[in-house]
Amino acid sequence: MNTTKRLGLLGFMITGFAGVPAFAAPTSYPLEIENCGETVVFEKAPENAVALGQNSAEIMLLLGLEDRMAASAFWPNDVLPELAEANGKVETLTVEFPTLEAVLQQQPDFVAAMLTTLMGPDSRVAKRGDFEDLGIPTYLAPSACSTSLDTGDAYGSRDQLWNMDLLYKEIDDLARIFDVQERGDAVIADFKAREAALREQFPKNDDLTFLFWFSSASAADDAYLGGGNGPSGFIADLLGGRNALDTKAEWPTLNWEGIMAADPTIIVATQVDRNRWDLDKAENKIAFLENDPTVSQMEAVQNGRIVVMSGAAMNPSIRTLYGAEEIARQIKAFDSGE
Amino acid sequence: MRTATDIGAGMRLFLLLAVSALVLVVAIAAATAIGEYNIPVRTVLLTVANEFGLTAADVPKIEASVVWNLRLSRSLVAALCGAGLAICGTILQALLRNPLAEPFVLGVSAGASTGAVAVLVLGIGAGAVSLSLGAFVGAFAAFAVVALLSNGATSGPNHTILAGVAASQLFNALTAYIVTTSASAQQARGVMFWMLGSFGGVRWPQFHLLAIVLLLCLAICFLMARALDAFTFGDEDAAALGIPVARTRLVLFAVTALMTATIVSQVGAIGFVGLVVPHAARYVVGPVHMRLLPASAVLGAVFMVIADIASRVIVAQQTVPIGVVTALVGVPFFAIILYRARPQT
Repeated sequence: MNTTKRLGLLGFMITGFAGVPAFAAPTSYPLEIENCGETVVFEKAPENAVALGQNSAEIMLLLGLEDRMAASAFWPNDVLPELAEANGKVETLTVEFPTLEAVLQQQPDFVAAMLTTLMGPDSRVAKRGDFEDLGIPTYLAPSACSTSLDTGDAYGSRDQLWNMDLLYKEIDDLARIFDVQERGDAVIADFKAREAALREQFPKNDDLTFLFWFSSASAADDAYLGGGNGPSGFIADLLGGRNALDTKAEWPTLNWEGIMAADPTIIVATQVDRNRWDLDKAENKIAFLENDPTVSQMEAVQNGRIVVMSGAAMNPSIRTLYGAEEIARQIKAFDSGE
Repeated sequence: MRTATDIGAGMRLFLLLAVSALVLVVAIAAATAIGEYNIPVRTVLLTVANEFGLTAADVPKIEASVVWNLRLSRSLVAALCGAGLAICGTILQALLRNPLAEPFVLGVSAGASTGAVAVLVLGIGAGAVSLSLGAFVGAFAAFAVVALLSNGATSGPNHTILAGVAASQLFNALTAYIVTTSASAQQARGVMFWMLGSFGGVRWPQFHLLAIVLLLCLAICFLMARALDAFTFGDEDAAALGIPVARTRLVLFAVTALMTATIVSQVGAIGFVGLVVPHAARYVVGPVHMRLLPASAVLGAVFMVIADIASRVIVAQQTVPIGVVTALVGVPFFAIILYRARPQT
């Protein structure tokens, strides 16, 4: 037993000191991470992590960490199909906001969050200090805190267009925290290649404008749209176009007259899985667009330029790239059909 | 005859205070023991004893933190807020001689919400201090609007209530405007949750702030209990009794605004408590403020602590906004009071 341990230690020391140049360097603990203006120290790789928010959970699953996750919470959309099996091993506390007690009950040794409403200074769920006082390290998505660092606004508008760099930083940080850099590098490389491929296929086109329709309480109500410098604008930019709305608000509501005046060339009807309203469903959105006597007169509807995308893509997340690809496939189908 | 009634009321006050204080202690103990995290009663007791320096038992760190930092601080804040809101209602009902007066109805809560949301969403200043300050400015702005609309504080009591309704609408609209033009999806939801009130974000620092402000305000109110009695007969009678009407009224309005603003800034706008609790207290101890104020305070505290327990356990792993619970629990209770207090025919 003692000999085995010593041999193990020796082996560790050799690989540790010699380094393995072909791979990313392993994390040496204690690890210090700068995150959203705070320094977080990790004494060891987490073994019982809690992910607050779909994006934090999906990144961990992409990194193959399902065995080191205790639970997750807050899922506006269903999990990515390719991650469903892994996610089955992780308890879902609730698809809505969880309570701090429910999170602590999991005896977490690490908590990562996607939004400041889930873990931030004004959060009614949890503050970073709640965990730090217990010696539990935390991580907040850079996409979430960048808004407050940019504009002093804890949640809403950004002063520049969101982009994947914030997400790559998040993936890289989480990979280092869990000591799975190789996997993290692979995920980032994959995403970067996919992002570049889209940019290449879709050169700048001034005539291309997108309307991102998240949902509406009813057809008569103002629609709940994507605007500002959020991920929707990033998707439009990635595909060579721009958001049809000029508003600064990241989630504006607008009536249909205003939408018709914006005159988008492509309408994105999102599929939202939470099922709060009828118009969460993409098919109901399309039925309204095509059957309403006024709205159906829009050029995009007349030309049949309505595409479907997962609503999760409109949040700053890995799903944003998947959403862009979803739209890209449909635009290409239009172009080849015409 | 009158003396006999007073003695009866005195006894009832004593009984009410004694029973309520007992119930309050039991409710806070229950709030500290009940929760989603399953913690043995022994651990709960040892944690509290440890914190008071009575024992030095070995308690798991997370469980101790849940008991002390999450549950106990939260239930004490709930008790303070319940007492504060009930006192605000009692005072406003006396000053305006209107049984419907309370911070929520008069738009003070709405004004405080607007101020707090402006700080939160528009990023004016940062941190808890500016949030409270924003709420305070908003609360006073609402008071100013009510005073203007009701033509100073001297016109009829119904006028003031209508002015309060208008002020509520105005400030709720401003809040909605700020939220729709500036907030993100998550934030809009967060703000909504916050406008209905929540004890979720509460820890010891909130307790310390509320304890200082509310105890100070409550002391001022008790000192003015006799003046409040006089106001219930009308301004002229109050003046005839030698009370500086305008000054007393201003001080009491300011104290009410300060209490409401502090509460709203920390836990959101919680309706109903200020409206219902004073009536329940008056039903038991009568209208004399030396008795009514302590009775309202302790009843409000008990009501809020119990409502908060309910808000935590109704839906598993989620917290229902406290404003929803106070209304759902409070309305039936209010209906009973209305029914029993109906004029005899």
